[in-house]
Amino acid sequence: MAEKEINDKRKSLATRLIFLVALFVAWEFLPQWTGSEKIIPTFSMAIEAFWVNLWKGDLFKHIVYSLQLIFTGILIGMLLAFILTALCMLSKRFNDVMDVIVSIMHPLPGIALLPVVMLLVGLGAKSIIIIIVHSILWPLIVNALAGFRAIPRIQLELGRNLGMRPFRLIWSVMIPNAFPYILSGLKIAWARSWRALVSAEMVFGASGLIGGLGWYIYKTRFFMDVSGMFAGLISVIIIGMIVDELVLKTLERKTVQKWGMSL
Amino acid sequence: MKKLLLLCVIAGMLLTTFSCSKRDRDSVVVAQQFGLGYAPLVVMQEQKLIEKYYPSAKVEWAQLGSGGAIREAMASGQVDVGSMGVPPYLIAWANDYDFRVISALCEMPLGMQTNRPEVRSLKDITPDMKIATPSPGSIQHILLSMASEKELGDPTALDRNVIAMAHPDGASALINHIEIAAHFTAPPYIFVELEAEGIHQVVDAEKDAFGEPFTFLVTTGTAAFRERNPELFDAVRKALKEAIDIMENNPESVADIVAPTMNLDKETYLKYCNWPGVHFVTNPRGMLKFLDFMNKAGYVNKMTQNEHDLIWE
Repeated sequence: MAEKEINDKRKSLATRLIFLVALFVAWEFLPQWTGSEKIIPTFSMAIEAFWVNLWKGDLFKHIVYSLQLIFTGILIGMLLAFILTALCMLSKRFNDVMDVIVSIMHPLPGIALLPVVMLLVGLGAKSIIIIIVHSILWPLIVNALAGFRAIPRIQLELGRNLGMRPFRLIWSVMIPNAFPYILSGLKIAWARSWRALVSAEMVFGASGLIGGLGWYIYKTRFFMDVSGMFAGLISVIIIGMIVDELVLKTLERKTVQKWGMSL
Repeated sequence: MKKLLLLCVIAGMLLTTFSCSKRDRDSVVVAQQFGLGYAPLVVMQEQKLIEKYYPSAKVEWAQLGSGGAIREAMASGQVDVGSMGVPPYLIAWANDYDFRVISALCEMPLGMQTNRPEVRSLKDITPDMKIATPSPGSIQHILLSMASEKELGDPTALDRNVIAMAHPDGASALINHIEIAAHFTAPPYIFVELEAEGIHQVVDAEKDAFGEPFTFLVTTGTAAFRERNPELFDAVRKALKEAIDIMENNPESVADIVAPTMNLDKETYLKYCNWPGVHFVTNPRGMLKFLDFMNKAGYVNKMTQNEHDLIWE
C-alpha cells in the first residue's frame, strides 16, 4: 500500500512540474513568435524585471507594506470571527441576528464598500484594513458556523456524558470536529484578502505613504512598464503560493490529516 | 494523448482569437474623451469632418475611461487615433511603441490648488498632505515634479504624497475638504476650484513649473494606421486642423454640440473658451523639454534631440 501511495505522489508531483515547465516554455516563446513582447513580456523578461526591481527598485518595500496590511487585517478578522462565532454558539438569539447580518454582508464586495469607508475613516491604511477585514470576516464566520453545526450530535452528547466541562467540550470535541471547515474558511480568507488589497489600491490609488503591490502595479501600468507590471503580478503569485503551500498546507497536515479526518 | 491534443487545439483557437486584427482599409477608430481640451474631437465627430475629407471613411468613435486606457488600446492596435497629455505620449514613445503626434490639440492653464491656508509654497507641504493627480506619469504629475525640482531641488520629493484621482473626484474632494490637501488639475476643473471659497493656487504650471508656454494635449496616430491608408491618415490631420480652428476662432458656432458633453451651460462654456491661456492650436511646443526632464528625473530612458522623431511628417 505504502509503495503505491509513494508512487502516486511522485506521479502527481511530476505532472505538476511538467505542466509548469510547459507553461513557462510557452510563455517564453509565444510572445516572440507573435511579436507581441511589448504587450506580453516573455517569461525571462518578466523574471528579470521581478529580480531587478525586487533588489534595486521599490518592489520590496511595496511587498512588505502589503504584507503588513494583510496580516493586520487577517489577525483582526480572525479575532472578530472567533468572538462572533462563539457568541453565536452561546446564544440562539444572537445566532439569528448574525444570520441576517451575514446574508446582508457576505455577498457585498469589499471594493463596493470602499467609497463609504473612505468617507468614514479617510483614504489610507485604515480604510484598506477595514476592507480586508470585511472581505475575510464573513467567509470565516460562515465556514466556522457550518463546521460547528455539522458536528454529530452523538459526539457532543458523548462528551457531555463523559462529564466534560463546556471549555473542554469546545476544545476537544467541537473545534477538532469543525476544523476542516475553519481551515477552508481560512483559505478563502487568505485569497480574498489579497484581492481586496490589490483591487482597493488600484481603484483608489496609494493607501499610504508607500503603497502596496496594488499601487505598484497601477504605477507601472501608467509608465507602460509592462515587465514591471508582470513583476508585481509574479510577487502576488509567489507570496500567495508560499502561504498556501507552506503555511496552510502544513496546518492541514498537522491537524486535519493527522487526526484522520480527511485525505 | 487525445486529451493533450484537444488541449492544444483549444489553446490555439484562443490564441488566434486574441491575435487577429486585420482591419478594413477605410476604417479608422478614434478614441474620444470629454473635457475642455478634447473639444476639437467632439467637433470632428459631430460635424463629420473626417468624412468630409475622405467620404468613404468608416469612422468609429471609441469611448474609453482614461488616457492610460487609450494608450493601451492604441498599443494593442484597437484604436488608431487618440489624444493624451504630452508626458503620457512620451512614455509610450520611450517604451518603443510606434505612434507619433499628428497634431497638437490645445494649450491650457494647468495648476495645483490647495485648501490649506497655511500652504503658500511647496515647502509647506508636509508628508501627510495628499496631492491628487489623475495618474502617475500624467502631465499634472510631471509638472508637479518639475515644480518640486525648482523649489525643493528634487523632482521626486513629493512622489510619496501623490495619489491618483479622476479630475471630477479630485475637484470635489478638494472643495469639500475630504482627504486631499491639494489637487493638480486642468480646465474646466481648475476654473471651478479657483472660483470656490477657501481655495488658492500654489503652483501655476507655466510660471512655476515649465517656465514657458507648452502644449497640454496632443493627438497621436499609430504607424500601422498610417501605413494602412495614408490618404485617410491625411484626412484625419485635415479634419483635426479644421476642428481646432473652429474651437480657437469661433467656439460660439459649436456651443450647442460641445457644451452639453461637458455638462456646461452655454455662457460658462464660452467663458472657459475665452479664459486667458486657453488656446486650441495645431503646433506642439515644449515636447523636447518634457522629454529631457523626464529622462533626468528617471521616469523614462530614451532621449532624442530631434522633434521629428516625435511628430509625423
